[in-house]
Amino acid sequence: MKQLAEVLKDWEAVIGLEIHTELTALDTKMFCSCKLSHDDEPNANVCPVCLGLPGALPVPNKKAIESIVKAGLATNCEIQKHSMFYRKHYFYPDMAKNFQTTQGPIAFCMHGHLDLEVSGQGAAERPDCAFGSGEAASLASASAGATGLSTMKTADAPRAGSSQGTYDTALASGPVRAEDGSYTVPIRILRIHMEEDAAKMVHVGGQEGRIADAAESLIDYNRCGTPLIELVTEPDLRTPEEARLFMEKLRRIFLTLGISDCSMEKGSMRCDGNVSLRRRGETRLGTKTELKNLNSFKALHDGLEYEIRRQAEVLEEGGIVYQETRHWEPSRKRTVVMRVKETADDYRLFPDPDLAPFDLTDDFIEHCRSEIPELPDEKRARYEASFSLRAADAAQLAGDPEVARFFEEAMAASDAAAKGGKATAADKRARTVANLILNELTGYLNAAGTDVTIATAGIAPAQIASLAALLAEDAISSNQAHEVFGIMAETGDDPAKIVDERGMRQVSDDGALLPIVEQVIANCPDQAQQYRDGNQKVIGYLVGQCMKASRGKGNPKRFNELLRENLA
Amino acid sequence: MACFDELTAAQIAAGVGAGTFSAEDVARAALDAITARDKSVAAFLQVTPEAALEAARATDAARARGEKLGPLAGVPVAVKDTMNPVGTSTTCASRMLENYESPYTATCVQRLIDAGATPVGKTNMDEFAFGSSTETSAFARTNNPWDTDRVPGGSSGGSAAAVAAGEVPLSLGSDTGGSIRQPAALCGVFGMKPTYGVVSRYGVVAFGSSLDQVGPFGRTVEDVALGMNALVAGGSDPLDSTSQPCDTDFLGCLDEGVEGARVGVIPQLLNAEGLSPEVAAAVRAAADKLEAAGAEIVEVELPHMDAAIAAYYVIGPAEAFSNLARFDGVRYGYQEPGCATLAEQSSLSRAHGFGIEAKRRQMLGAYLLSSGVYDEYYFAAQKARTLITGDYRRAFERADVLLMPAAPRAAWRFGEISDPTQMYLSDVFTVPINIAGNGGISVPLGLGSDSGLPVAAQLVAPSFGDAALIRFAAALERAYGAAPVAPACAGKGGELK
Amino acid sequence: MALTTEDVRGIADYARIALEGEELEQMTAYLNDAVAMLEPILAYTADDVEPTYHPIGDLSNVMRADAPDPAHGLSLEAALGNAGASRDRSFRVPSILGDGGAA
Repeated sequence: MKQLAEVLKDWEAVIGLEIHTELTALDTKMFCSCKLSHDDEPNANVCPVCLGLPGALPVPNKKAIESIVKAGLATNCEIQKHSMFYRKHYFYPDMAKNFQTTQGPIAFCMHGHLDLEVSGQGAAERPDCAFGSGEAASLASASAGATGLSTMKTADAPRAGSSQGTYDTALASGPVRAEDGSYTVPIRILRIHMEEDAAKMVHVGGQEGRIADAAESLIDYNRCGTPLIELVTEPDLRTPEEARLFMEKLRRIFLTLGISDCSMEKGSMRCDGNVSLRRRGETRLGTKTELKNLNSFKALHDGLEYEIRRQAEVLEEGGIVYQETRHWEPSRKRTVVMRVKETADDYRLFPDPDLAPFDLTDDFIEHCRSEIPELPDEKRARYEASFSLRAADAAQLAGDPEVARFFEEAMAASDAAAKGGKATAADKRARTVANLILNELTGYLNAAGTDVTIATAGIAPAQIASLAALLAEDAISSNQAHEVFGIMAETGDDPAKIVDERGMRQVSDDGALLPIVEQVIANCPDQAQQYRDGNQKVIGYLVGQCMKASRGKGNPKRFNELLRENLA
Repeated sequence: MACFDELTAAQIAAGVGAGTFSAEDVARAALDAITARDKSVAAFLQVTPEAALEAARATDAARARGEKLGPLAGVPVAVKDTMNPVGTSTTCASRMLENYESPYTATCVQRLIDAGATPVGKTNMDEFAFGSSTETSAFARTNNPWDTDRVPGGSSGGSAAAVAAGEVPLSLGSDTGGSIRQPAALCGVFGMKPTYGVVSRYGVVAFGSSLDQVGPFGRTVEDVALGMNALVAGGSDPLDSTSQPCDTDFLGCLDEGVEGARVGVIPQLLNAEGLSPEVAAAVRAAADKLEAAGAEIVEVELPHMDAAIAAYYVIGPAEAFSNLARFDGVRYGYQEPGCATLAEQSSLSRAHGFGIEAKRRQMLGAYLLSSGVYDEYYFAAQKARTLITGDYRRAFERADVLLMPAAPRAAWRFGEISDPTQMYLSDVFTVPINIAGNGGISVPLGLGSDSGLPVAAQLVAPSFGDAALIRFAAALERAYGAAPVAPACAGKGGELK
Repeated sequence: MALTTEDVRGIADYARIALEGEELEQMTAYLNDAVAMLEPILAYTADDVEPTYHPIGDLSNVMRADAPDPAHGLSLEAALGNAGASRDRSFRVPSILGDGGAA
């Protein structure tokens, strides 16, 4: 098979995502007052409603409705005041009623979008992406293109189909490339609807728990009825990298909203992808396949990449891509057929008569809006503006609400300390704090494993602020900072105390450093001459000699400066 | 003392409250009457003497402690076998649920218990409420107490027959297209279907979720009012999203009178094809009685009536298919033994667990909901529903209550109607009210001039104006008298010691 | 257009109701009778009439608080008590084979 970059020169990949997110932050299920839990023993949290007992009736969880409205507002969706729950029928015992309660043509949230910024290697995968005029891609046109559905009245739309079949690329506003090669592209969201999750089934007696050869299956209804929101994008994505970035961005938003733990590992956030290929310049859509088991960012990227390459090979050899559901096998790095869709599934969708319709009030929607915290994009912009952080650093800090909180608490501690003593410029302190969090702390957390989070690692924001102050004052070098961090993480001591107790404070005083510099120049006449003859590299050797002479305590940066002055 | 069937529910509650007799005495009398009469009537699928005596003793103990007793203190009640009381079987008269034991209690059952009632058992019905004669029950043939060769009507045939036979003074049924009002008419008792949403459906096995409503049977309007008060006490049910608060005091409507009130009659219905002359004559006579009591008779039109039966047999089966999909033999219900695959197990469990009419309705529903067909039928049926609802709204601008037949004819013989689509037409007068959601009550008008069997009228009230049902039914009761216990049963067993 | 026995077999497969032989024939006859009876509804296509899905007037936005209520929970015995087959703490079903789930 050809490499992705090669394929994408000739072919355009059209990708849409369906992303399910369990509202794990809630206390109870969608339609009954059973506790939500991932870890309890099988069938510990069940009641007549979620077991689908005869006569039981559903009552919606208000906080779930608030959560999906927040999700819609945070992804620029139009909140639909009038909507209903529908019943979607299929006989499978993971749904206790043999139908899933979900939404019909009108979901709570319709026609949103998220802007993706694609940079680095991934940015090169879109050859269709022209350099922009400098004006940002018009998002207005993205939402204008979507009004076709939103004006449809409930009555006119007993069951509207997916828009994918009639998708018109002209509706999507194109990507705009910046000078540095990165580009920005709006990705439209068709809808976010509310539904309930299915039970967990364990297939026993077969190999590796596969359905195909299992002798029997065991069903645990604890998860059945868990509030689930499903986001469906328009097929606006063009590369696996865009798909990955979309998923990451969405995850950061949902985490910030506090509606879910968004764990792809635990399955509280799950992604399916649709992908088809067409020749560049072609406007009709090719046949799409649906990919399952894209349950990590890497799987999402790699599964789509494989499928794009596979389809290209099939098409280039004159073959046919079948509309089918394929399963990504990360261990074998391939997709395999799960089932072929000969006809469209007929889920016999109709409005659920057991549930009253929704007519959300402005008050309800505004209340939800008022509870939305600062979102990652706004936060990032604020970090860039207030602290002059590099865009990438600001984005990384703002992306995880826990990390952002840590950063802001560390900055507060740093500000408080700065007031008393020798003031270092706030921007410099912020960059130092950001570096420590993104390098030292993140590295430490990665090494500590998944059980340790920034909240449970036992490192206080004030400690990072203190360490940053030492760096900013040139009291320690960055190499020493790494060492001090390690001791701090182990002992819990304040960095200043560690540095003082261990005599690590570096000497930056010229009165102490200058005699060493003069001595080293005198001891190394050959190297001194080489420098004077224009060999800049030799300065490293001389700094090394100075450090040696100061037994590692001299400030290497100052040694460097003093050497250059004295050799000039 | 005399036979307990001479007492109304109100008199029993008063007697228990006053200590004239104990709740346990009443319970024993009721159980004795059931033993004596149910051999020929077969209204019950299950009699629960232990539960009855336990509840009755609890009532007596409460009285002994000086506690205030509930409005149904010591009143023996029977409930349709669609209703879940914890710890008893709830079969819906289906093999599918033959061995099913309820792990929870329906709100309507709980509210009767909370009012002090003594639950004596579960009554027979058409399987999953699909039918108009109780003949589709998988377990028993319930006979009309007035003529045991004839059907009691359905689907709540057992609950109607139990009251008509004097086995209990009060029972509960559920009504999706006439399943309370039609058997009440055929058995000669009062049977009320309140406005959709007045009584909680939680714990009542669903047939058509947008049509089902629970209501009481009684031999007096006062008993029906007493039952209604107990069912709405405590307000709307937080476990039923479609239940709504009802603050009507139904007992307070009994003596309001009808002077100056407007009673709407619908000429097109009284001339309807298939309406027996004796029923038409009886309903006309009832209109005269109301006029004599001071009401004004006005003629109103219901222009979209022709669509009601069709709309009902679209919406009902569609919802039934959906509601009964859960019976797959996995979590509960009949499970076909020895199946190698899940698909085989569910298909055979459903094929052998459900009776023929339950399969017909689900097949019809599955077809009507299928792609393409749905838009033509289901969507149209819900539009017709809008128009039918509008008909009633306009009619109630001119009338305070509507008077019409309840069933097209008196009770027929077993097996007389074997074609299912013919059977569906026996609901022609009751179905439209479920479509619109309004409340209706069946009022016995004595015996038919031709058949000598009970005939009845139906009163229909504005949405959430259910008080009018009690008010106008009470006026007719003053003219016709309370519903008698069927002669063949009256006084058999049930001596109140 | 009348439904054929093959159409009806398809519906039966979907509805998980095994129908064979005479029963299938009778069901086909019934469905054709029933659908014929429903014909009056086909006239109700007016665009200016909104469908009524819920006969409950203006009732809307019915929701409950997000608060656990253990009183309505079922014990394991009650949950599994009516099941035809269970193992340990779970419901048990035979091999699923080609059954397709969704969502």
